[in-house]
Parts: sequence; C-alpha cells; structure tokens
Amino acid sequence: MRAVLTLAGKDLRNLLTSPMFYVISGLCSVLWTYAYLRAFLSFAERTRAFMQPGMEGGMNLQREVFLMHISQINLLYVFVVPALTMRLLAEEKRFRTFDLLLTSPITSTHIALGKFLAGMGAVTALTAISFIYPLATRGVAEFPMAPLLAAYAGVFLVSGAYVAVGLFASSLTESVMLSVILGLIFNISLWFISQGMAGDASPMVAAVLEYLSLGQHFLGFIMGSVKLASVVFLCSVIGLFVFLTQRVVESARWR
Amino acid sequence: MIEIKNLCKNYGDRPAIRNLNFSVKKGEVVGFLGPNGAGKSTTMKIITGYMAPSSGEVRVAGFDVFESPLEVKRRIGYLPETPPVYSDMYVLDYLRFVANLKGVPRERVESAAAGAIEKTGLGDVRKRMIGNLSKGYRQRVGLAQALVSDPEILILDEPTVGLDPKQMAEIRQLIRQLKGQHTIVLSTHILPEVQASCEKVIIINAGQIVAEDSLSGLSKRMSGGGHSVTVKVLRNQDAVAKSLASVGGVLKVRNTGNFIELECDGSETTIEKVAAHVVQSGAGLIELQVQSLALEDIFIKLTSKELTH
Repeated sequence: MRAVLTLAGKDLRNLLTSPMFYVISGLCSVLWTYAYLRAFLSFAERTRAFMQPGMEGGMNLQREVFLMHISQINLLYVFVVPALTMRLLAEEKRFRTFDLLLTSPITSTHIALGKFLAGMGAVTALTAISFIYPLATRGVAEFPMAPLLAAYAGVFLVSGAYVAVGLFASSLTESVMLSVILGLIFNISLWFISQGMAGDASPMVAAVLEYLSLGQHFLGFIMGSVKLASVVFLCSVIGLFVFLTQRVVESARWR
Repeated sequence: MIEIKNLCKNYGDRPAIRNLNFSVKKGEVVGFLGPNGAGKSTTMKIITGYMAPSSGEVRVAGFDVFESPLEVKRRIGYLPETPPVYSDMYVLDYLRFVANLKGVPRERVESAAAGAIEKTGLGDVRKRMIGNLSKGYRQRVGLAQALVSDPEILILDEPTVGLDPKQMAEIRQLIRQLKGQHTIVLSTHILPEVQASCEKVIIINAGQIVAEDSLSGLSKRMSGGGHSVTVKVLRNQDAVAKSLASVGGVLKVRNTGNFIELECDGSETTIEKVAAHVVQSGAGLIELQVQSLALEDIFIKLTSKELTH
C-alpha cells in the first residue's frame, strides 16, 4: 500500500505541477465558460418568457444546462485525458527510470495501481474545476443537488475509464506521441462501439454492443439515475485496463 | 552472497549469456569485465530481478531471485547504465522518493536520504533540479539512489562511463570508500577501474566466463610468472643488446631502437644481473623498468583468444 501511495504521490505531484496540466485546465475552462454562459443565459431568457402570466411550471435546469455542460466535459475528456496520462509509463521507459521501478521491492500491481491513482487524481482536479460552474449557479438559482451529483458520479467513473485506457496506451509504447494517439483511438472506440453496426447486426449483437458502449451508461448518469449495471460496467472497464497495464508491466521481466 | 548456477539467457535466437557459474562472497568487491556486448548488463539485470533468465538459478543472500524477488530486491542497490533519475525532480525529493519506494522505514527516510547525500558528496546540489545537473553529478545521484536504502549488495553497471577523468577518479574513490560496508559487483570495460577498486575479477566474453581470479593471481597466471624488462642506455645500444643475451636468466632480447626489451624468468637475481651488466658495460644506464603483464594485456589475450576459436 505504501509503495502504491509513494508512486501515486510522486506522479500526481509531477502531473499537477507540469505546464501541461495548466495549459489543459486553462483551455478547458475557457471552453466551458463560453459554452456554459451561453447555455445558462439562453436558459434564463427562455425561463423569463415562460414565467409570463398564463404559463405554468419552470424549465429544468438539469436538462437544459447541466446536461450540455457535462456532455461537453465528457467530450473534452476523450481528448484531454490521454494527454494527461501519456507520460505515466511511456516516459518512465524512455528515460530508463523504469529500471528503478522494476528493481525496487514492489510488484507490477503496485506500479499499475499507483500510476492509475495519480492519473485519476489529476483528472479529478480537472473535474473539480468543472464543478465550479454548477456550484456558482446555486448562487442565482435553486435546483435539486441529487441529480447533479449523480451526473458527476458518472463523470468520475467515465473519466476513470479514460485514465485506465490512457494508462494502458502509455504502457504499450516508449513514445509519448504514440501513447496519446493510441489512448484517443481506444477512447473513441469505447464510445462508438455501438455505432455503425446498425442494420446489418442481429438484434442480440446490437444489444450486446450497446451494453458495451460507454455512451449508453453515461447517458443514464447525466439524466440523474445511477444504475447498478452502469456502475458495475464502468468499474469493470477500469479494472480491465488497469489489469492489462499490470500485465504489460510484468511482461518487461520476460522479454 | 550471490550464487549463480548454469545461467543462460537468450534474446530470441541470440544467446546473450551461456552457462554462467560464479559466486560472490560477502564483503567482496568483484569486477565484472568484458568487451561491449559480452553479457555484463544482462547478467546484472538478472541478478537484480529486473529480468528473468532463460534457464539457470540465481540466489542472492539465500533467496531465489524468481521465487522471492521482493526479498532479493530489498537487499540490492542497483545503478543501471543510465542512472534512473527523474530530470524534473529535486535531488533531495528524489532520494526521499526512492527511500520510500525501497521500503525504508518511514521514520528513517529523512536520515537515509541525508546519509546518501553525504556519502556521495551531493550536499551542494541537494536542492537543485536533477535535469540541471552535469552528467557527473547525475551519475552520483544515481549512485546515491543505489545507496539510499543501505543495501547489503551494490550492483553498479559501468558507473564511470561517459565521465571526465576527474569525475571518474571521484567515483572510483567513492567506490573504494564503500568497500567493506557492502558487497559490490562492478561491471566495466575500463581496466584501470578494476585495478583501482576490485579484489576479484571475472572476465566474461561472448556470454561465457573466460577467467575468474584475484587481480594478482590473474596477472601471475597469464604471464607464466615471467617479467619483461625494458632498458634504456645513452651509448652503444646495439653492443649492449647483443651482450645482454648472454646474461643468465634472460630468455629473449629485442632491440627496438629506442630501448632494449628483455624477457626474463621471474627471479629478482636476473634483474639484478641485468642491471649490473649494463652498468659495467659503461653504456650509461638511464632507465630500467620491470613490468609484469598488465591487466590490459591479459584482457586482450583472453577475449581475442576466444574470438579466434
């Protein structure tokens, strides 16, 4: 446990103090601010119209604003998380610091878990930044917190899947560039696995693929419902890719 | 401390080491010598548990490297060819990190890092970023990393490669200081390094051990106990050279032009006789040098003999 935390602590500090993290979080906040403000203002406009005498019931902030915000977080994460995780293992190999890890009294599982936690920490920091927007909205509007928290639980789990995938991509190569590209392709495949099969697939294959697609599960979370199947699915994706990473790290001993 | 039996490692079809057998006793400083690509690094990586062999057995401090790798790794400090340092970390932070990674008890991490810094003379740079250090200092940080957990065994893979002569001398000095506290295995292809720091030499070539002996034993064995003597005189060099052949104990005389080279049996009386002979001839002796076979010659003899097979 101590080895895992030592590794995670070092890598997390490394990630959070790197210019990369600041560039990414800066650019993300610019995009989020622009889109969030626009959606929120147009929502306010329309609400005012609905509030005219004779019109009953308010509109749903969750569905109109947060849904957009959270899908945008997800969209950016598909691209941004591989960039955050790219160095985790690829650079250790390239600069030969991997030798130190492999000759220290720690197991491959410790290495994979430590690295995963570090990546998770950095992405969660980014998620925390994105959480400022709905939180600030609370100052001007009332809305129920529970669906928002459910949606953020979804963001947390999905970003965990991206981190695990990115970590696995990083373990496959010494090249940081290739690691980003691989991570991106894996992420996109996970997202679109159910697409493009429509028509020529049997209903059962289509149902299986749909279950395997991140999108379906994520949608549930955004709509405010936490389904056990989705939690289990996302946790298994994380577990699978961390396990695959551990296998790749272990394989360095046999090659 | 280290026992290696019938160790083999193949990279694909290419054998890197073949049937290696040797052992290192506690407290010994062993030089692991061989030309580039002889299998030195591979052997060291296997001892540290970094990679698995194709066949054979390695025991470190009584533990099998493959059955209890963690126990073995706890006892070994390893400096790979490229020091495994993070260029974006501070020296002190890095050593703390390594100490934690190696499982140094929490309350002793600080003192371990400070101790390693003191031993390797890194005091002046301990708050600097490793990436900004010179190669010599980075190598020392690598050495400090190997020392930080105070391991019983130190495995150093070409610790002075790429350093300038002054830095080399400093690292060698450091290794000499570590003698007695640790069992040290040191690989190199630089011969003075072995002469400077090691008691025992293992010469490896093309994946096999070609010699294993103490430094003096090796030198005696290879030269067959003989000496070569060079003599330099001011006058009448040719005449002196001819007459020297008649001195008892001199086996061969060669007149190179600049000096006279003699091969003699190993006894000191022969050398005395040679000196007396030259002085009596009045040729003006200005230099007389006795050389036993240097490690360099042994090394070339052993490794090239193997190649011509």
